[in-house]
Amino acid sequence: MQEVKRKYVIPGDIVAEGNLRPLVNVFKIGNSIVATRIGITESSKDGAKVIPLSGIYFPRANDIVIGKILDHSSLSWSVDINSCFAAHLPAQDIFGRDFSPAHDDMGRQLSSGDVIVARIAIFDRTRDPILTIQDKDLGKIPTGELIKISPTRVPRLIGKRGSMIQTIEQASSTRITIGQNGVIVVSGKDKEGTTLAINAIHIVEVEAHTSNLTQRIKQLLNVPESEIEVDDTPNNEVNGEAINDDRVISNNNDKELGAINSNGTK
Amino acid sequence: MVQSRSLIDESGKRSDGRVIDELREVKINVGIIKNADGSALIEFGKNKIIAAVYGPREVHPKHMALSDRCVVRCRYHMSPFSTDTRKSPAPSRRETEISKVIRESLEPALILEDYPRAAIDIFIEVLQADGGSRCAGISAASVALADAGINMRDMVSACAAGKVDDKIVIDINDTEDKEGGADMPVAYMPNLKKITLLQLDGELNSNEFNTCLDEAIRGCLKVYEIQRSSLIEKYFGNEKGLKEE
Amino acid sequence: MSLSKKSTVIVENLRKKQMRESISAGKRLDERGLDEVRPLVIELDVIKKASGSAWVKLGNTEVVAGVKVETGEPFEGLENSGAMIITAEVLPIASPHVEPGPPDEETIELARVVDRGVRESEMLDLSKLVLIPGKIVYTIFVDCSIINVDGNLFDAASYAVISALASSKLPVFEIKDDKVVDTGKTQEPPITTIPVSVTTVKMGDYLLSDPNTEEEACMDARLTITTNSKGSIVAMQKGLKGNFSVDEVKSIAEKARVKGEEIRGKLKGLINIG
Repeated sequence: MQEVKRKYVIPGDIVAEGNLRPLVNVFKIGNSIVATRIGITESSKDGAKVIPLSGIYFPRANDIVIGKILDHSSLSWSVDINSCFAAHLPAQDIFGRDFSPAHDDMGRQLSSGDVIVARIAIFDRTRDPILTIQDKDLGKIPTGELIKISPTRVPRLIGKRGSMIQTIEQASSTRITIGQNGVIVVSGKDKEGTTLAINAIHIVEVEAHTSNLTQRIKQLLNVPESEIEVDDTPNNEVNGEAINDDRVISNNNDKELGAINSNGTK
Repeated sequence: MVQSRSLIDESGKRSDGRVIDELREVKINVGIIKNADGSALIEFGKNKIIAAVYGPREVHPKHMALSDRCVVRCRYHMSPFSTDTRKSPAPSRRETEISKVIRESLEPALILEDYPRAAIDIFIEVLQADGGSRCAGISAASVALADAGINMRDMVSACAAGKVDDKIVIDINDTEDKEGGADMPVAYMPNLKKITLLQLDGELNSNEFNTCLDEAIRGCLKVYEIQRSSLIEKYFGNEKGLKEE
Repeated sequence: MSLSKKSTVIVENLRKKQMRESISAGKRLDERGLDEVRPLVIELDVIKKASGSAWVKLGNTEVVAGVKVETGEPFEGLENSGAMIITAEVLPIASPHVEPGPPDEETIELARVVDRGVRESEMLDLSKLVLIPGKIVYTIFVDCSIINVDGNLFDAASYAVISALASSKLPVFEIKDDKVVDTGKTQEPPITTIPVSVTTVKMGDYLLSDPNTEEEACMDARLTITTNSKGSIVAMQKGLKGNFSVDEVKSIAEKARVKGEEIRGKLKGLINIG
């Protein structure tokens, strides 16, 4: 396992010195890499970055988000995605290219207050995010309990290849849909399971930066000892995608400092 | 301004019992306003000030948005009961000027290009004022901005120094502000070592000015220590400082 | 002119469904019973420069009120009365939905309803705050700053104003050589009664006490009732576009009396007055 150094920083603190590549939430000045946010640093020979512990959700193309329909114009719905920009879901996404307000009733498909899980199809520096619900497992969420956590804790909640969230789902017999924007819907057969899952989620949110979190969560959920692994990185970086077939979660949580590229990818 | 009475007694004590190079007590409580994205309550001597940050968030009205960077809006406001004589709730010219200089003291630290077409709103509410409220407000706002997770190049720490009884003193209180010889508030980015706020009220010769500026910076650095420890305490609890693995 | 507005807070349909199901089973989403008021915390004397002050937390709704005393002319037609001015402001720090600027109709309504509760109950015996009748009287300012919004601003602001007033130490002025002089002494405020405001909201067929922000966004109508120490009603205000039946109003009024007395006892204990 490669050597990784971690420490707690506030904005302005030095993360690392030397000829390292600045990754996310840092900038380089002279020979030093400096943190731009409160968080936990990670520096290795690949570069230095800060895993942030606070901040609102800033949209990224291809993120899966859970949003709430606010209103609609004649051509699209406006959607609150718990971010600094309102997102838009074009009517054509549901009705197809021959959409016409004359014969297609937008209000019947989605109305104010409806909750949807969507993917950010387009986002760049020049306009508000555009959503799509055309992929598998996207669309309106008809039932379930909705809660919100800080978006910075979502990677920890998902865990390495989904391990943390699957542990919670299995132990509480629930199905949990997580948006990168910190909005979560939990659906279970009974109230007890849902409550157990929600409690576990809140603990992960508060203790995301600590070690041995997986162990404590498993104890809370009464998972047998033999199933507890030793691994426990506090920030839980996942390299690459970890998409579960029967549920929508995605794991791009690296964020480049400075300009988001014009087509919205990192 | 020429003083009319002595503000430092024979044993070197100022009107509130401090000596000339002593700061008032400073306490910072992070995250006090639950609805805000970031917030801090600062008690700086008798000053009691809340800073709250909402942002980045949507700009209203839309036409005020900038295409390549974030808009920063800042409001410094004093509650009617915050001063010796009751103040009308309507914004005064003094509050308007202070809102502007505070915004200009914080903007250099913010990486505005990261949030095009959005706004960052900084609200500073003075619940009780006792000299140096703009500096305390800036220091609280800087903590609130970090609490909100907004990308910053550095923190901003602020403190005033001045002249009282012809001596350079650190951290001017209300009486010294009203009756003393000079008052110089300064805001400073402690790691980048840059000054972002500088104002002067009074008269200083060139030696006095240099000493006064050095003292104000020394005050800023003391405030920085408290800003840092308040943030570390909220986010990392008792696991302070370094954690190497 | 008053204008219907689009709601600033749209609650997710999933949450509304959760709320309805929970309420029909007798509990709210935050686990409270339908009649239950959130924890009330009051800290006094938080603003030393004020004659009296209070920091009130009603659940997550937080309000700071301060009392400042000056002298001035009496109000027209009230020559033998001290003057009292109560203001309330929802500060921009308090919520993402506040626009800085002159007070809107909701803030003005809030300030006036709080003022009515204190004034109509005659909480302060203003006749005791006169220096020269018709010329110079005490002017009592009570200013209320709402610093975090989570519903039921009417009650929270009211408790802050009452606590600040009841716990204040008013200056003692006197006339010397035709000038008003602050003697440096302080006096107890002339309190005659403790008015307590109780707000009830209607959601469908259910009546709830002390709504939070999410509940307020889902409610049809609101009724705020202020009672005094004798249990008499001294002020009322109905709000929002829904309606109440006559029986509902009578039932709410009775509950407000009972709950008012409960909260009055709590306020007295917290402020330490008889």
